[in-house]
Amino acid sequence: MDPLFRRRLEARFAERLTGPIRQRHDETEIRIAPGDVPDTLRALHDEPEFGFEFLADLAGVDTGEVMQVVYHLWSETTPDWLRVIADGLSRDDPRVPSVTFLWKGAEWMEREAYDMFGITFEGNRDLRRIYMPPDYQSFPLRKDFFLADDAARSPGGGVRHMERTHAPSNTKTAALIRKATSG
Amino acid sequence: MTATSPRHASADDPRVILDEQVGVFEPIPPYPPRTEREAEFYTLKDGEMFINMGPQHPSTHGVLRVVLKLDGEKVVDLDPVLGYLHRGVEKLCENADYHQVISQVDPLEYVSSLFCEWPPVMAFEKLLDVEVPRRAEYIRVLSGELNRVASHALFMGWMALDLGGLTPILWSFIERDEIVEMLAALTGQRMLFNYFRIGGVNGDLNHEFMSRLGDWMSKATTQIEANAGLLNENEIFVRRMRGLGTIDTATALRMCMTGPNLRATGVPFDVRRAHPYSIYPELDFDIPTRDEGDCLARYLLRIDEIRQSIRIIDQCLHQMPDGPIAAKLPRLLRPRPGRAYAGIEGPRGQYAAYAISDGTDQPFRMRIHDPSFIHLQSVGLLMPGNLIADTMAVMASLDPIMGGVDK
Repeated sequence: MDPLFRRRLEARFAERLTGPIRQRHDETEIRIAPGDVPDTLRALHDEPEFGFEFLADLAGVDTGEVMQVVYHLWSETTPDWLRVIADGLSRDDPRVPSVTFLWKGAEWMEREAYDMFGITFEGNRDLRRIYMPPDYQSFPLRKDFFLADDAARSPGGGVRHMERTHAPSNTKTAALIRKATSG
Repeated sequence: MTATSPRHASADDPRVILDEQVGVFEPIPPYPPRTEREAEFYTLKDGEMFINMGPQHPSTHGVLRVVLKLDGEKVVDLDPVLGYLHRGVEKLCENADYHQVISQVDPLEYVSSLFCEWPPVMAFEKLLDVEVPRRAEYIRVLSGELNRVASHALFMGWMALDLGGLTPILWSFIERDEIVEMLAALTGQRMLFNYFRIGGVNGDLNHEFMSRLGDWMSKATTQIEANAGLLNENEIFVRRMRGLGTIDTATALRMCMTGPNLRATGVPFDVRRAHPYSIYPELDFDIPTRDEGDCLARYLLRIDEIRQSIRIIDQCLHQMPDGPIAAKLPRLLRPRPGRAYAGIEGPRGQYAAYAISDGTDQPFRMRIHDPSFIHLQSVGLLMPGNLIADTMAVMASLDPIMGGVDK
């Protein structure tokens, strides 16, 4: 944990953060709105105070209620991994600006997130499916995608929510589960 | 398709007449282009043609299809088509309990399995706040570095094989087999080790492993030098590789490259030093770099890394502490809700895992970051302007493993 780094982040990005900065082990986590992604990452990448030159990972996350896009960054100015979470993408039409203008290598990672979660990265010029066949319709890593085997149906009928594991709160998801479990 | 007996043009002519073209590759997809880039790629200019390479091609390191756009013998552009080995590891991990994840991620990069096990295990340890015993960390580093040598040794052979030289792969398989047999004595498996456990490792060092390791260590350096001499002094090999597929530092960073491919452009970025984990801060080793950024630099850099790995193995053997090899943990793990990210330096670059726990016995989300996937996309950047025969050389020098690319 790097408390100084936390203070630097707070001083620079205070008005953009949508949640408290969390630190655990060797990770620092900030949450921002999806619209702030390009500006924030550009600042983190370009400003010598931060100097985050390495995009270590880009991942999509479906929490069961919202979608998130998670960026992991590395810089020599801090001993921590920086995790930037673009929080609160709607599950019906998740959209986030692309970061390919900073890291062209993010193109395939964004394609993968699109393939698995259906997240649209605006500005990625090659956003098509990468693993699944082109005529495939669903998004396999979404939480309402069922596996055929029974193991997937154990807690909460295959749909697991991060905060509430017992029952789905979203009416749309509940309808999906009913449809899938009834036959 | 109907199963009819083949018809011949005439009794003397051996050519078979087919009623319909079966299994012939149609380069242009049978649907309208979905993106700007796809439309641009699948539009031919005058004199250009498509050629399909793979998915069954001897030098694609697995099952990869590459659509090449050619102008004469020059590659104008290429479009890798992935997914032939996709088995949805991330989804499988989300439906397995924490211990089962280790065996699920094993077959990702099948020539360096220990490095696929390491990041998830580290991420789960962070989620559970487990301290790994020091002996377990030493055993992890020892076996990991052995696996790195095996992987790089195999790379040397593949590299030559993709350029048309058959002998080096036979030699590098000797090297790799010795290490793999050694690891089999330690872990019980030759390829998919399933050896790391959350909080430690599966078994302690045993007599057979130590005696094999002693034998190997006494001749490892000379053997590696002999193998390297086979290629390094081969003029055809060196002249073909020099200046081919050059990538500069800024582009490598923009392409998110890590590992030997990045270090061959002169950036001393190694997760073992940049973001230390395990016992690497206590060990003494150098990070070799090269400035050229071409195929030859990437190849030579891996030989330098083998030398450093042998140094690390030597230090591990001398400093190996006594003690337990695993932390005491219950069979069913239920970490507190939280998120953890762990990255390590593998033979190909940064392997990483990002795990989210929601308090149940299965990971809520398990993201696996694989360096092969990242490196393969820069082939499209390196190839334009080169000859078609160099495609495989450039691809081999980036060392992607399709099991990891397709997950």
